[in-house]
Amino acid sequence: MPQKSPPVRQYLVVISLVMLITIGLLILRDILTLANFALIYLLVVLLIAVRAGIGPSLLAAVICFLSFNFFLIKPYYTWRVSDGRELLDLMVFLLVAFLVGQLASDARQQAENARQRANEKEILHRLASTFNQLSTREGVYEALQKVLSEELHTRHVHILPYASVVVPTDQTVCYLVLGEGEKIYGTLCAAFDEAPDEIQLSLLNTSAIQARVALERIDLTEKLSRSQTIEEADRLKTALLHAVSHDLRTPITIIKTSAASLMSMRHQLEAEQQNEMLTVIENEADQLDRMVGNLLDMSRLQAGALYSHLDLNSLEEVVGDVAARMYQLHKAERIAIEFPDNMPLVKFDYGLMLQAVTNLVENALRYEPAQSKIEINTTIDREQKAVSVAVMNHGRNILPEVVEHIFEPFYHGPGGNIGLGLAITKGIIEAHQGRISVQDTPGGGATFTFTLPLSDDESVGMIV
Amino acid sequence: MKILVVDDEPQIRKLLKTGLGGYGYEVIIAANGQEALIFAAQQAPQLIILDISLGTPPDGIEVCRNLREWTKVPIIMLSVRNEDKAKVTALDAGADDYLTKPFSLEELRARIQAVLRRIAVEPSATAKAEVVVGDLRIELANHRVFVQGEEVHLTPKEFELLRLLATHSGRILTHAAILNQVWGSEYSGMDHYVRVFVNQLRKKLRENPARNIRYILNEPGVGYRFIDVEES
Repeated sequence: MPQKSPPVRQYLVVISLVMLITIGLLILRDILTLANFALIYLLVVLLIAVRAGIGPSLLAAVICFLSFNFFLIKPYYTWRVSDGRELLDLMVFLLVAFLVGQLASDARQQAENARQRANEKEILHRLASTFNQLSTREGVYEALQKVLSEELHTRHVHILPYASVVVPTDQTVCYLVLGEGEKIYGTLCAAFDEAPDEIQLSLLNTSAIQARVALERIDLTEKLSRSQTIEEADRLKTALLHAVSHDLRTPITIIKTSAASLMSMRHQLEAEQQNEMLTVIENEADQLDRMVGNLLDMSRLQAGALYSHLDLNSLEEVVGDVAARMYQLHKAERIAIEFPDNMPLVKFDYGLMLQAVTNLVENALRYEPAQSKIEINTTIDREQKAVSVAVMNHGRNILPEVVEHIFEPFYHGPGGNIGLGLAITKGIIEAHQGRISVQDTPGGGATFTFTLPLSDDESVGMIV
Repeated sequence: MKILVVDDEPQIRKLLKTGLGGYGYEVIIAANGQEALIFAAQQAPQLIILDISLGTPPDGIEVCRNLREWTKVPIIMLSVRNEDKAKVTALDAGADDYLTKPFSLEELRARIQAVLRRIAVEPSATAKAEVVVGDLRIELANHRVFVQGEEVHLTPKEFELLRLLATHSGRILTHAAILNQVWGSEYSGMDHYVRVFVNQLRKKLRENPARNIRYILNEPGVGYRFIDVEES
């Protein structure tokens, strides 16, 4: 820290110190030689130069020179010098004292500057690394306040216009604008007990610049993520429009055409043909209903409005419902189900889970060879507090380039229709804090496995 | 047979009028809750088909409540997906059954017939000695249950649950109603008890959903329904 004692006091200290030394030397005047006096005085000047700088050291040199001449060189108590060689000594002393003072105080100043710079650097480094980690404006303001009050000893720091300030008149206040050009984030208002020196001011400036840079960075990041979100939403919207115009149109077209034909050609058509057309209409309407249902689920998931329906439910019930429906649809047993005894209840939304499992099972059945069954195996992992359901089909493996995109909304796999089913399943599972993945079935085929966390209140699964 | 259809969608009203008319029912239509209440009082229908959401107040549930204050006429509610809470409320308000849109006319006719049949046999229903459905035989009087002729041992609570469901075959029982009747009112809110017991019961009855062999059907978010004995 720079010397804080006011100059007048410093000079008084210097004068009294030289006086004291002179009194000491006066006592020892008869024992010591002229060379001793000169060296001791030089030492004093040197010390003062190191401690207090050039001004006090010059003063000390002059006083030493005078005292030396007046008290210690014969004839005593006069300014005269009898011996010419002693006069030379005295002159050389004065010159050396000046030089020593000059050099020592220069060295001192340099050391002081280096220390200051190191300190400054240290503060700046801390400032920069703190600001770099911050991601909110409030965080930057807080950090700025903390740094300024800790490192620069400000009385208080405010960021305008986020604080109203009443500054007492006995304080020096600095105002710095945080921002550049058209973008102003706020005004930094720092109050000091005393007028800040040059170093403090420069640090204050640098801090403000660092803070501004951090604020700009946060601003940019926010803008970027906002534009990414918009882009994402845009992409989804486009895909949705595409899906709606393509996939929803197909069943509508079929229904419309069939109904119109039935109306106009009812009398030419045989009963069997009429029935066929009616069945097509019904099936396509069901398909339409499923798609709309999926779209609704998708929007429900994206809106995050799920938690009102979370309940302790039975996965066995869900799988049973799906299996029974598939039996009704295919008029054949196409699913082999395996559940452990004492299967605990799991917290989920029944309707959504039914949709998730239905999508997985429909997808699995679509690629299952006609004569074999898909398998649904459930396992409990008590250590991980989770249950896993694997929906396994046989046949060909999924191509690696398909696996990559298989859970993306509106991704059309070969043979699949509207690319929403698996994306919705993934969304539903993840909304329940679960995970879903796909692997190859040993011997060929695909196995979709989803895992759901068991609720802490596991005892409910164990009522007897 | 006179049926009152209440729906705010003109197309649905028209469809139901034509469709149910084709089955030989006389159909009166109402477009909102107020009309529904007036027609129900003036024309004394023998059954009411009532949409849960009617667009303008009073909604279907309010109409149902109002009707139940003075008539026991069977009510079948119509709902859409994700209206579980409303379905439960409607059943609590006295509705006899519900059907989720979209449905086929055939399904609706089956529900209508089932509801009307239950009303007709209600007084003698308690006297039933046994319930037989598929491979399952329940001897109500002496608490014995057989699957494919083999006796199955049930705990008292399990039998109680099965009896409640089986004696109300074809009808929806909400979780709350089952809890209340089998466990008692102090268990209210413990819906998961019912789920765990139904699971155990299904295993003992050797249900096989993969072959559509089921006796207890799920009504997601609402409760359970024992398979309609007359129909199967």
